[in-house]
Amino acid sequence: MKKTSYIEAITETLFEEMERDERVFLIGEDIGVYGGVFKATKGLLDRFGPERVIDSPISEVYIAGGSVGAAMVGMKPVPEIQFADFITPAMDQLIQQAAKMRYRTGGQWTCPMTVRVCCGGDVGGGLYHSQINEQWFFSQPGLIVVMPATPYDAKGLLRSAIRGDDPVIYFEHKRLYRWIKEDLPEEDFTVPIGKAAVRKEGSDLTILSYGLMYHRSLQAAESLDKKGISAEVIDLRTLRPWDMETIMESVKKTSRALLVQEGSKTGGVMAEISATITEEVFDYLDAPITRVCGIDVPAIPFAPPMEHFFLPNADKIVTAATRLMEY
Amino acid sequence: MPSKSATKKAKPDKPGLSEEILLGLYINIVKTRTTDERLRKLFRQGRFAGTYFSAVGQEATTVGPTYGLRKDDIIAPSHREIGAAITKGIPLEKIFAQVYARSNSPDKGKSHPCHYGDRELGVIHPSSTVASQAVIGTGCAMGFQIQKKDNVVLAFFGEGGTSRGGWHEALNFAGIHKLPIVYICQNNLWAESVPSTKQAGIENFSDRAKAYGFPGETIDGNDLVLVHKRAYEAVRRARAGEGPTLIECRTYRWYGHSEIDPADYRSPDEIEYWKKQDPVVRHEKLLMDLGILTVEKRAAMVEDIDQEIDAAIKICEAAKYVEPEEAYNDVYSEAFPVRRNDNIDV
Ligand SMILES: Cc1ncc(C[n+]2csc(CCOP(=O)(O)OP(=O)(O)O)c2C)c(N)n1
Ligand SMILES: [Mg+2]
Repeated sequence: MKKTSYIEAITETLFEEMERDERVFLIGEDIGVYGGVFKATKGLLDRFGPERVIDSPISEVYIAGGSVGAAMVGMKPVPEIQFADFITPAMDQLIQQAAKMRYRTGGQWTCPMTVRVCCGGDVGGGLYHSQINEQWFFSQPGLIVVMPATPYDAKGLLRSAIRGDDPVIYFEHKRLYRWIKEDLPEEDFTVPIGKAAVRKEGSDLTILSYGLMYHRSLQAAESLDKKGISAEVIDLRTLRPWDMETIMESVKKTSRALLVQEGSKTGGVMAEISATITEEVFDYLDAPITRVCGIDVPAIPFAPPMEHFFLPNADKIVTAATRLMEY
Repeated sequence: MPSKSATKKAKPDKPGLSEEILLGLYINIVKTRTTDERLRKLFRQGRFAGTYFSAVGQEATTVGPTYGLRKDDIIAPSHREIGAAITKGIPLEKIFAQVYARSNSPDKGKSHPCHYGDRELGVIHPSSTVASQAVIGTGCAMGFQIQKKDNVVLAFFGEGGTSRGGWHEALNFAGIHKLPIVYICQNNLWAESVPSTKQAGIENFSDRAKAYGFPGETIDGNDLVLVHKRAYEAVRRARAGEGPTLIECRTYRWYGHSEIDPADYRSPDEIEYWKKQDPVVRHEKLLMDLGILTVEKRAAMVEDIDQEIDAAIKICEAAKYVEPEEAYNDVYSEAFPVRRNDNIDV
């Protein structure tokens, strides 16, 4: 057991996977000499050299598309997109190439790769360094999308992603990098892609979230406990393909669903999950499904009070949960 | 316009290529031309769906560079590279199966009539996003470099594709790392309805290579021997670790952008001029002058190709479509089956 932060878990995993499999290599902006703008790739250049830790020019199209090509000839690329805000040029390659490679070639060519994307708000990053745009990838068949909330999952999901055979968009939340530490087992473990985690059992309502919002939800659930409301807290972990079974079982048990998402409300991950809950377990519901989400504006604004206003937090979740219980 | 490097001596050994290579090039270009013309006809007869992108007139730009590649070299094509597919060795049956989208098609009916590919033969089934394969092809070359292998990538695109940002990012990266890749620009003077003068403010698209630190040249793309020799040299350099090359082949597509395009934005004079530059006729004449090819030999060759085409069409028209539910296949690896829309399946 070793106390490990979320970002240390990522760095360690990259080390281990590169040791384990010589096909694994990294490419991204400032990841080599500088060790990454958040130091997620610190030390890797020294250990593995410039051929496997490639400081790329500012070329998101190439970082994504070049990784697709390298994967097609047997490499295991782990490209980094420095900020989710700057992933837009790479969309063409991720959506038109990575997501469709297996499909459009009848399964002949594949491109297993793990795109690390640093995302999320609550860090004062402003309009262009706080974005969280997982819903774009969530809606794209052919891609796997994960967002760990804990150091354990950061490690376990990264291992599963790198060792797997599919293109994975791995969202890492920058607010979590140094905030949470956790004892991690020394032995090799993985976290399966596609499985949610029931983090706290409860009987009155289900609070579903992921990433930073999982921590806000847990905080809220602790306050709700004090009010005599027993919330079950689920961390989705994998967004695509999401764990329908675990969520439906929980909603069947609690009959109330509160869905929490950091990004803007319209068209988000929780819109889809909400629709699926009504399709699958409508008869079990005692109240309308409720969402607590970021507001529908272009991105998280800079001024601290506005950023706070944008983001869901424990208080907002408690308020929504209390109303949901009163329905 | 034709390159100054075109050979000038009028001796029989003028091309500097063996008889075997000259004939090999010839068979492939004739096969490509004949197949392409047949496919156009079949499309107009309504025998397959979608549309068809003919490459008639510009075959030398794909056959020339592809001929002589190793099986484990990679072709990263675009939408007009039937010549590369055939020359890399994809059997005609697979070409027709692709067009007909039947169960025997390499992509299992998923993509598009002209998206020929075959992993075994190192041909990437293209996407429709123009010049994107130049990006992933560069990635393949990066992979080979990391693996310390000596395989080479040949990436094809039209001059229109070179206006895309990703194309520039890819060439920039290839220049930095001296990747083993050869970029073949087929400048057929038009990108759909847009002339090449509206595509770039420079006359020679190959000048762009300068900005990325590697050689570029503009050559007569209808001279099969020249295209083959220049590309072969570029491939040699790439394989030797000397970095990428951009070769702009000036050429022309005889017909519309696709078979549904009347191409009336072009002048009859222009078309007439270029039809006189027919790369098949030019190569044929060379071989006849050299005494390598005779009228009889040619007739026999064409008959063989026609038979091969007839047989391929017969197989494909008799083949079934894949089952519609197979639309669910090949989205992910087996670990992640797709959730089905069972509630509307009938
Ligand atoms: C990214 C993208 N934009 C637009 C199109 C539509 N489109 C298909 S082919 C084409 C023209 C391509 O011209 P060029 O690259 O010169 O190739 P050519 O067709 O002349 O062989 C266009 C605009 C496309 N397929 N992809
Ligand atoms: Mg063109």
